[in-house]
Amino acid sequence: MTRNKDVESFLPMTPAMFHVLIALADGEKHGYAILKEVARRTEDKVRLSAGTLYGNLARLESAGLIVESDERPAIGLDDERRRYYRLTDFGREVAIAEAERMDAALSQARAKKLFRKPRLA
Amino acid sequence: MARTTSTSDISLSQKVFRGLLSVLPSDFRANFGHEMEGVFAQQKREIEERGAPLDFLRLWWETFMGIFHTAPREHWDILKQDCAYALRAMRKNVGFTAIAVLTLALGIGANTAIFSVVHAVLLRPLPYSDGQQLVFLRQQAQREGIDDIGFSVHEIQDYREQNRTLSGLVEYHNMSFILFGHGDPDRVRAAVVSANYFDLFGVKPLLGRTFLPDDDTLGAPPVLILSYDYWKTNFGSDPDIVGKTFELNDKIHTVVGVLPPVPQYPVESDVFMPTSACPFRSAKTFIANRDSRMMEAFARVKPGVSIAQARADLATISDRLGSEYPKSYPEQMGYAAVTSPLREALTHDARPTLLMLLAAAAFVLLIACANVANLTLARTSRRERELAVRTALGAGRGRLLRQLLTESLILALMGGLLALVFASNSLQLLADFAARLTPRAHEIRMDTGALVFTLVAALGTSVLFGTLAALFSRANLTSGLKEGSCGAGSGRRKNRARGALILSQIAFSFILLIGAGLMLRSLQKLLTVDAGFSAQHVLAMRTTFSFSKYASGDQLTVVGEKVLHRVEAVPGVLSASLSSVYPLQKEAIVAGSNAFSGPFRIEGRELSPGEAPPVTSEIVVSPGYFQTLGIPLRAGRLLSDADDGKHQIVVLINEAAKRQFWPHEDPVGKRVKGENDAKWATIVGVVGDVRDFGLERPAPPEFYVPQGEAASPNALLVRTAVDASSVALAVASAVHEVDSQAAVTYTLTLEQARSDSTAAPRVIASLLGIFGALALLIAAAGIGGIMALTVSQRFKEIGVRIALGAQPSAILRMILGQSLILTVLGVAIGAIGALAMTGLFKSLLFQVPPTDPVTFIVVALVLLASALLASFLPARRAASINPIVALRNE
Repeated sequence: MTRNKDVESFLPMTPAMFHVLIALADGEKHGYAILKEVARRTEDKVRLSAGTLYGNLARLESAGLIVESDERPAIGLDDERRRYYRLTDFGREVAIAEAERMDAALSQARAKKLFRKPRLA
Repeated sequence: MARTTSTSDISLSQKVFRGLLSVLPSDFRANFGHEMEGVFAQQKREIEERGAPLDFLRLWWETFMGIFHTAPREHWDILKQDCAYALRAMRKNVGFTAIAVLTLALGIGANTAIFSVVHAVLLRPLPYSDGQQLVFLRQQAQREGIDDIGFSVHEIQDYREQNRTLSGLVEYHNMSFILFGHGDPDRVRAAVVSANYFDLFGVKPLLGRTFLPDDDTLGAPPVLILSYDYWKTNFGSDPDIVGKTFELNDKIHTVVGVLPPVPQYPVESDVFMPTSACPFRSAKTFIANRDSRMMEAFARVKPGVSIAQARADLATISDRLGSEYPKSYPEQMGYAAVTSPLREALTHDARPTLLMLLAAAAFVLLIACANVANLTLARTSRRERELAVRTALGAGRGRLLRQLLTESLILALMGGLLALVFASNSLQLLADFAARLTPRAHEIRMDTGALVFTLVAALGTSVLFGTLAALFSRANLTSGLKEGSCGAGSGRRKNRARGALILSQIAFSFILLIGAGLMLRSLQKLLTVDAGFSAQHVLAMRTTFSFSKYASGDQLTVVGEKVLHRVEAVPGVLSASLSSVYPLQKEAIVAGSNAFSGPFRIEGRELSPGEAPPVTSEIVVSPGYFQTLGIPLRAGRLLSDADDGKHQIVVLINEAAKRQFWPHEDPVGKRVKGENDAKWATIVGVVGDVRDFGLERPAPPEFYVPQGEAASPNALLVRTAVDASSVALAVASAVHEVDSQAAVTYTLTLEQARSDSTAAPRVIASLLGIFGALALLIAAAGIGGIMALTVSQRFKEIGVRIALGAQPSAILRMILGQSLILTVLGVAIGAIGALAMTGLFKSLLFQVPPTDPVTFIVVALVLLASALLASFLPARRAASINPIVALRNE
């Protein structure tokens, strides 16, 4: 497993990948939960299929941005097939860097008055 | 990972989903497959609860797209990893990599080169539009065994008018003429053709135009079309050649066009002219006579009509002509019209040779594969611990096999790349060789077909040796870690696999070497066969005197005598003679003795009804022919200057004619005459047989007719006291002193002619020799390798034996004996294979039976000796094992 510590090399991220990181930002989740959260948060604009989701999870895991969590919910509440994923510190760094990159781009667009009416963040 | 759902109670959609998952890499599936199924099931359940059937479609669509988007990326990642890993492993083991790549490159390269030739000659469609519709017509005298007697003007017309299956039929014959108008008089090979000849073939001119119907009417202004090669070689590809004029047959001819490079059949021509321009073809007497057969015919079959239908149609016409003109088609000759696809006619001679070479090349590749598989096997043994560690770290068995296959793929692709270099470098040599077998040799080149072939060969090769190696090492992937070395059971299995691979290498090498050996033996016989004439110090020149200048035979005889007189005065010349053809002349070999033969009658022998008249070849010679060529007189006398046809008509026969027609009597004094001759000729002598039409063909019955009695000579033969080629210039100027317009071309010594005539078998023998040597080298290296491996595996055991008192010489014998057993087994299998395949060789061999015991014994001994030599080093190492070291290794 190669662990590339160079945050820059992950930028810019694909929307799907970025949304997976965002979904994990407030705690560990299993695959289906990630998928639901992304759909809910983006009002169904970003819809991940099983194939895309796990393709991205595999990449993020092998790059060290996320890890499989050891902690599991109590037996009975849990489907044994499920694995839980958690953001690593490095993954958080990358997610922040990507958000900042987008924020900077957004500021520039605002400065150029690209928005028809100013929106509240 | 345990499955919670049994196969019976899973739903159809789950089955489909699992099917979709199978496009993902196996490791990915093992890692995430179950979770993905879970996620999909939950998505489905949710939609079911919502009761939104359209959302089902959307789910399936997104799932489908997602998986097919992810799969290539995952596979590509693995490929990148595997390639990087493989390249690292190769760098660590440069020796193995170099040997494997080189072995594969030789194997694939041989195949690419031969395939390029086979592709251009046998597989590619003819470079004419709809070439598969073109046919070549021959009129045969089947009962006489004459393959092609040609067509007369009447016959061409009849076949053209009466057929229902052809969209066109054109005639062709070739002649030698002298062309004036640029430098020295040049003898040109002229093809005389119908006006629509090029339209029939669909050939568009490179420059100018092709013939128009008006060009072919009697009295039309003479026109010429130049072949691509002639235009390129003799006029430096002059773009302004159209419109230039040349003198030919006393008439001014205008060049109207230049052809693109297209294969010409049956022979290459320099210029093309319409039939009206040929003085023979346009003669009234020739046109009127149904029996004056000289032309070949080509036709195009109508669209939608099969060759078989055309064949039947033309055979019907042939039958009809037979009953309409019984005198022109005597039953005893067995006249018949035969139709064959042009492609077959163009490639007929090359097919068996090329297919044999392709088979030989394939054998080399198989041997190379077996060898690399063995090398890989030996290497995976050494890498077992490494592979076992990777297994322990979670790599599945499929993943490891995939890794091994990627490594073989990279090796094979590198080999393929190098193979292209080998092949493109040897292609010109092969094309020159193929040119002796087929007019299509011009089309040979490295093209996309060859590149695709190389790629496919490389892929196939990698799969073959990669799978072999991977399969045999599979059992060990998991046991490697536990024992620290290969397990006993699988080790034995692997040794058996190696033994089998070595056996196949030896067997294939044996077959190849038998092929090479037989061809070499055959060639040796061919080179030393008594051709019946002495080729040393004889110069042969193609000499033509203008047909129009010397209209009568007498005039030609006079100028011929003058030329001989003048040439014999050149210092260094011993004797000179003129003849219609000389021994082993290229054109004569191509055409065969049939082209020179015709039926004749023997005085006092009546043919019984239905009996075919005897047939003999006829060669026109001046009296000095036999002294010049050193052909011995067997009975009677030779020709003299007095035999000029004015008093008594005489003829000499060869021994083959005596054996065939007068086996029990003296032919001298007997009288014969040609079917169409008016007068009887008396046989005055018998001379020795000459293999005029190819060293491998026994002399046919031949009549030698004195020059004064027959047509114009074509060849000037000069015996010299000095090196024959040194007097060539002096002889040519002597000819020009007599007639400045005579064409003197294609000068060569008879030794060259003899050597040229064996070029094809020499190349076949050399190619097979190279392939055989390659195979031997690879097989010997394989045997040496496996013996070295055996010795290192049995290191301890041999040490114990020596400690217990075994003599080093006994150990040496033991190891050598093992390699001998392997080789003998391989040779035995190979011998069975070779005996089964001898039918392929038969037609290519001269005076050597395909089961020639000498070849079989010598090849077996060579293989045994090579095997012993290759095993000697490992055997000596075994004999010198120090028992203390061996036992300490415990």
